[in-house]
Amino acid sequence: MTTTGLRVRMFAVGVLFLGGPAPLLGAANEPTDSGTPADDARIVHVLNRLGFGPRAGDVERVKRVGLDRYVRQQLDPSSVADGAAERAVAHLDTLGMDSGHFVGQYYDDIKFFIQMQAAAGNAADMKMRFGLNLPDPAKPADAKPADAGAPAADADQPAAGYTTAAGLPNLSVLAGRDAIRCINELQHAKLMRAVLSERQLNEVMVDFWSNHFNVDVRKNAVRALLVAHDRDVIRPHAMGTFGDLLGAVAKSPAMLAYLDNNENAVARQRSKFEQGLIEWFVNYKLGMRGAAQIPEREGPNENFGRELLELHTLGVDGGYTQQDVQAVARCFSGWTYSPLGGKFDFTAKRHDQGGKIVLGHSIPAGGGIKDGERVLDLLARHPSTAKFVSRKLCQRFVADDPPATLVDQAARVFADTDGDIRKVVEAIVTSDAFFAPAAARAKIKSPLEYAASAVRATGGAFTSRGWGLFGKLSFVSEGGALLGNDPKLSKAKKKTLTRHVHDMGQPLFAHAAPTGYPERSAKWVSPGALIDRLNFAVALTRADVSDVNVDVASLVGTDVATDNPGAVVDRLASAILYRPLSPGSRQTLLKTLNPEGDARKAIDVNRAAALILGSPEFQRR
Amino acid sequence: MPLSRRIFLRNGAIALAALGTGPTLEPRFLARAAAAAGAAGNPPGRKVLVCVFQRGAVDGLSMVAPHGDPHYYKLRQEIAVPAPKKNDADTALDLDGTFALHPRLDGLLPLWKRGELAVVHACGSPNGSRSHFDMQDFMEAGVAGDKSVAGGWANRLLSARGPDGEATPFRAVAMGGTVPRTLQGDVDVLAIRDLSTFGLREGVGPSRPAAGGDGAAPGTVGSIPTAGASGFEGLYAAAVDDVLGDTGKESFDAIAMLKTADPTRYKPANAAKYPGTPLGRSLIQVAQLIKADLGVEVAFVEDEGWDTHANQGGAFGQLAGKLMDFGRALAAFDADLGDRMADVTVLTMSEFGRAVRQNGNRGTDHGHGTCFLAFGGPVRGGKVYADWPTLAPDRLFEDRDLAVTTDFRDVFAEVCARHLGVAPAKLGSVFPGHAVDPARFRGFVRA
Repeated sequence: MTTTGLRVRMFAVGVLFLGGPAPLLGAANEPTDSGTPADDARIVHVLNRLGFGPRAGDVERVKRVGLDRYVRQQLDPSSVADGAAERAVAHLDTLGMDSGHFVGQYYDDIKFFIQMQAAAGNAADMKMRFGLNLPDPAKPADAKPADAGAPAADADQPAAGYTTAAGLPNLSVLAGRDAIRCINELQHAKLMRAVLSERQLNEVMVDFWSNHFNVDVRKNAVRALLVAHDRDVIRPHAMGTFGDLLGAVAKSPAMLAYLDNNENAVARQRSKFEQGLIEWFVNYKLGMRGAAQIPEREGPNENFGRELLELHTLGVDGGYTQQDVQAVARCFSGWTYSPLGGKFDFTAKRHDQGGKIVLGHSIPAGGGIKDGERVLDLLARHPSTAKFVSRKLCQRFVADDPPATLVDQAARVFADTDGDIRKVVEAIVTSDAFFAPAAARAKIKSPLEYAASAVRATGGAFTSRGWGLFGKLSFVSEGGALLGNDPKLSKAKKKTLTRHVHDMGQPLFAHAAPTGYPERSAKWVSPGALIDRLNFAVALTRADVSDVNVDVASLVGTDVATDNPGAVVDRLASAILYRPLSPGSRQTLLKTLNPEGDARKAIDVNRAAALILGSPEFQRR
Repeated sequence: MPLSRRIFLRNGAIALAALGTGPTLEPRFLARAAAAAGAAGNPPGRKVLVCVFQRGAVDGLSMVAPHGDPHYYKLRQEIAVPAPKKNDADTALDLDGTFALHPRLDGLLPLWKRGELAVVHACGSPNGSRSHFDMQDFMEAGVAGDKSVAGGWANRLLSARGPDGEATPFRAVAMGGTVPRTLQGDVDVLAIRDLSTFGLREGVGPSRPAAGGDGAAPGTVGSIPTAGASGFEGLYAAAVDDVLGDTGKESFDAIAMLKTADPTRYKPANAAKYPGTPLGRSLIQVAQLIKADLGVEVAFVEDEGWDTHANQGGAFGQLAGKLMDFGRALAAFDADLGDRMADVTVLTMSEFGRAVRQNGNRGTDHGHGTCFLAFGGPVRGGKVYADWPTLAPDRLFEDRDLAVTTDFRDVFAEVCARHLGVAPAKLGSVFPGHAVDPARFRGFVRA
């Protein structure tokens, strides 16, 4: 394209999206104090898309501020005070902890696991599943370690406190294991922030990027590295520039572990010293004591290289080849994390120093860590990336099949602003397409959105119930269930909010494939998932969600006669749905709650709220 | 169809609500009514297809190792499955002198010996992409790369063949929270995460004991509670929202019908032992549904975690452990269904295979051809069906992968035609863009 063409296009974009003095939403739609129902619908739409749905009073608050100003504030999260949410998550102490601490515990966990397996006589299974030759417990002499470096002091002892005197797992100690507890605290914090944060759009974007750059807490060391991934990688960059975010993700130990890049190296034989160090680590730090064979050679792994191109940046049709995948993998060889600190580390001797060609660009030999950084730069600025990421954002904010013109406009803003996430999001959420009738209620809520919006709509409060030792224990079993060990837990009557979201089909931080959960919301519609949603709605209103309290009665208000079924149902519907019930739904509700059709009757408000929360209307946003 | 079963059930439930019959009476009433209507589920001979998707691209060269191919051990120095050796349980299980089952799939060997297990090798898509997600999508859509085709091949298959007997909500069932691409389309599909919690808690307060006397799981009211039926069911029945409205109707019909199957008291037959893995839990539930005669025609289960980029292992290790659980789950399903396997075909599939050469981390990166397994009464087993391209360097796909000599669509089409009786003229609608030619069928399903 010629420079003139580009300028013309940029000007058009500027006029359309980057604002200037004209009000973002257009004068005709400027909300006023005497807001009409149409304005209310717009506000509810914004609260549903830029956040996790309205809470009581939100519509009035936005009306007071003005809708466009509210949107601008949301686009600038640092301008919004968020003390309540931060105070609410303050007691989740693992969220402040260092990866080094977690990886240390993670290694202890492996060691403990191996000890327990050996003690239980599961040597055959361990050999089968992990290729480990565990010593026969009957013959302690078998346990003689290979001649590796000096053993650590505790090499022969079970990790401190893991077992009771009787040799059983010490549950109260296990329950306090930070490297296990952190999984639940992360999930819990995500839900708390979705419900409580005033920076709603920021939380939506954090969720979007966590999903775009998916990692699975169940894989290898990811659970030890995930707190830092969420806290130091995703959150600080969620509303920054895409290039910075991409760079941070590519150096995030959680991502490197998840996509096996910690294994990615130039084909080489390790030195005797390196090999000895690794053997010491495996034998003593992980407690394997000669049980594992440790090969002396390592080499390339293309897992990260491929998903970086396919899922993080260009998209599968973004114009790359198998040769590009292999070249990109070579560029990232040696990108790993330090085994003890859990911090990003570039090991130069494991890097492939040869020249590479990536997407037609030549990367000269000897570039070291710069190879990967050049690739990231190339990808962040690539037009396919602009298009791919913009389309996903449009799917999140507007519709499963967003209008092509909107995607193109957003991609242009992406390209013209060097991937300024705020500008792209602003372009999308202030567009005509965003407010078009076709977009209204076009998205089915994800389980996360459904759960968070239900708690917000009912004014739910998180309780401290479930903390302390009992809570920690239930967290451990929840963590166990998450890790796939105990399906029975999903049948428990009282479940945490986290567990409900899990059962509705969206275990947080635990999507196995690197695609993450679908942005196409129609994928959430299925009979099985619907049953789980209805059961959640019932549980929430019956105080059966173990860590959330709701007070449905307060939604009715004092100005409504509690013995007037019609008035109570109408009030609840407007408090939860922000729109009147359809005549058919209203009739069904009244028939259910007041089967005899009494003129005066105090209906079961919890049940009424459950029915409204479970209704088709509340499944959409 | 005169009066669809689904309408019958819904009206039945609503009528009960009006009569005020208690929930514990309702299931038996429904069962009797259903039986009286002569519509009960799987009549003898109703054919069932069970699809097992191995997500993540299984290493077909380990699952069924070409130990007779001289290149196999050269290209896989550290992770090849050891060649068959008598009296050594940690070596491959020879099938025909060229191919051998992974030793941890020993649970499937009896099926092979009975002539009920077939292998289709060097199988896959003509599309050379190595993207998990595109290739899963294409395979599930039943296409080679056309993104404009909507829905899944197994749903189109059901449209093409029409219901076998009277259609029930259980005609197409997926175990899991969402409907997989394979089953998306015009025919209604049930996705069930867990049969024993597939019921509504509506109407159960914390202080009231769960009304589980009719076999519903504790904490759920499996049968539609009298008042609740008008509740959620009414809301979804009246919904103007077609997507959600339909989903809701499906759910409530299925809940009502499922109660006649009493999922909580299920005991596998023939001492079948399912492993406690997600796949084991899915298959045991599929077996329940089939045996309860609920009208299952296609069931879909999936198994994750086959993406073995690092430390894959050979006879032992990560992949061996996965295969052990996989083989045990399939063998348990076969044992559990017993004689009923006469009408059941189980077909395993995966989006592609893995590179022939091991990578730098004793794992394997994304490849091309892989193998599918098929077993059941209709299968002409005891044979590896393959036009084996060999692993000779000049025969590898793009210099690195097992070439594909059997198009997966011909495997699917053969099952459609010969097992499920889809007329050849209709196969084109199941696999758009693919000229299905029975001459290309490998012959692993009895004609």
